[in-house]
Amino acid sequence: MTQPSIEARGLRYAYGEHLAVDGVDVVVQPGEILGFLGPNGAGKSTTIKMITGQLRPDDGTVTMLGMDLASHRAEAQSRLGVAFEEKNLYDVMSARENLRFFGRLFGIKEVDVDGLLRRVDLADRADDRVAGYSKGMRQRLMMARAIVNEPDVLVLDEPTDGLDPVSARAIRALIRAEADRGAAVLLTTHDMHEADELSDRVAFINEGRILAEDSPEALKLEHGSRSILVRVKGGAGVEERRIALDGAETAEDLTAAMGGDILTVHTEEATLEDIFVTFAGRGLAG
Amino acid sequence: MHAATIGSILGRELRLGYRAPFLVWAFALPIFMTLLVQGIFGNLLGQPPSLGIVDEGASEVAAAAAGLDDVEVVAYGSADELAEAVAAHDVDAGLVLQEDFDTALLAGERPVLQFTVAGESLASDRAVLAVTALDLVRAVEGSMAPVSVEIVELGETGLDLASRMIPTLVVMAVAVSGVFVPAMGLVQERERGTLDAVLVTPATLWDVFAAKIALGVGVAVVTGSLTLALNGVWGAAPLALALAVAVGGLMMAEIGLLLGSWAKDQNTLFAVWKTGAIFIIYPVIFFIWPNLPEWIAKVAPTWWFLDPVFSLSLEGATLSDVAGELAIALGWCVALIPAVVAMGRYLERRIGEE
Repeated sequence: MTQPSIEARGLRYAYGEHLAVDGVDVVVQPGEILGFLGPNGAGKSTTIKMITGQLRPDDGTVTMLGMDLASHRAEAQSRLGVAFEEKNLYDVMSARENLRFFGRLFGIKEVDVDGLLRRVDLADRADDRVAGYSKGMRQRLMMARAIVNEPDVLVLDEPTDGLDPVSARAIRALIRAEADRGAAVLLTTHDMHEADELSDRVAFINEGRILAEDSPEALKLEHGSRSILVRVKGGAGVEERRIALDGAETAEDLTAAMGGDILTVHTEEATLEDIFVTFAGRGLAG
Repeated sequence: MHAATIGSILGRELRLGYRAPFLVWAFALPIFMTLLVQGIFGNLLGQPPSLGIVDEGASEVAAAAAGLDDVEVVAYGSADELAEAVAAHDVDAGLVLQEDFDTALLAGERPVLQFTVAGESLASDRAVLAVTALDLVRAVEGSMAPVSVEIVELGETGLDLASRMIPTLVVMAVAVSGVFVPAMGLVQERERGTLDAVLVTPATLWDVFAAKIALGVGVAVVTGSLTLALNGVWGAAPLALALAVAVGGLMMAEIGLLLGSWAKDQNTLFAVWKTGAIFIIYPVIFFIWPNLPEWIAKVAPTWWFLDPVFSLSLEGATLSDVAGELAIALGWCVALIPAVVAMGRYLERRIGEE
């Protein structure tokens, strides 16, 4: 069994009297993408801050690449990449200067700035000050900064939030490529489609506790409705027929539907949002 | 802490410092203050009064004027040339000595002495030059003054007000640079979130603190030294003076880190500075009015580097003369370290919780 890249056990953190994280476990294997889903205030950010070393847990342990974060923080962080939701770049510096500076903090004397910027499609703006960048460009530069040290652990907080579809697709491809390289990726997002598309596993968190954790497919299979919706053009106009996939009359219903003029066929599996509501009794947008 | 990491953070600050308005302000303020104080007290850049002379004969007045220490004497070829120079304020005043001036003077003929003054010259310079001119003529004539002047010095023998203002200028330079450069740097990095980004790399908050302190001390030494140089008071032991300024810069930089760690934003930082700076700066009034009880000034840590700066720059002291006071100043710096560490831990937790 391979050693997990991230192994957080029993994390607990309180802001004064308010218990924000209550006994959370997070395990991410090398090359795996874990989608961390929950509404605002659920405890996602606090958990992530404990995993990245920004906060010391009140209780629990974080082990990164086999190193205890409490005693080997700098060594663990040297192999960590983080992209924050807030676009916290040095605005008065260019993209090149930002990447070189962070490279040096990781002890890298010569950063392949041009190669990194090509990966996020910013090579032609390398020497422009970040202050003049659009939100999408900043987000792409944040991604380039997160991978400046070729990290073994990548923590991404809402990496495609507010991006246009083309930029978002490019960022997702980059995340997938990093996971394929072997990096463990912990990803928070509000975008259920993104979580579904990217994540090997998802973890639902609400009120400081993990509610469920599995692959998106397994969650959908377990909690979704196994049926399809067929729209057929009939004599009386367009008809909708819902066909259960594991019912006694499934084959018969499908045959009947095939005999008509089928317009569309949709599966009716549950979305991750639906499943979250099932667990938490509230939506993810809250 | 790692030297390479501190060097990287410091290098970024140095390379990009000119793009940071507060750093430019830290350099500009002491220069502006020096020019302001020197301008108000009529000693701008230490220029002595200047006297232009046209000597149409071979007057002994001109020869005597050339030997004056406190007046800059400039010779001109003609009265017209001198008039142009005075009108343009190239010199503060002009004196035309006619060809037979000395002869007429010695013959008791009361010759005309043409004395012109520049409209833009300082009143103090005009008075000095007028009296000097009359003294020179009287000396050539060989006459006694009509009165016997008894000069009585009241108050302590000491420095002029402009000199006693120098600690004010130095503390402004060192405190503004030493306190504000690290404090503002920290607050801005927190406001912009860049400190979070740095702290998820192998760099620690202590690396950041060390770099900010180094920058604060460096800028304080440069601005403090610049202030002393502008005032022409480098004293007899310039290295000791630079050391005293550096100790002051270190003390101020530590206070800057305390403020920067505590203040939640720039507005809070400025508000605290406006109300609290008096506790750092107040010892300067004991240099301006030296009769005030000194023990009050000694309560403030700033006294312990300001007094050495004053003694070294203006009173001809050496390092051994001020070593005790500098040791106390360094003691204050050491005493501030636990407070800086405690505030650092507080800041780390607060950054995580923000």
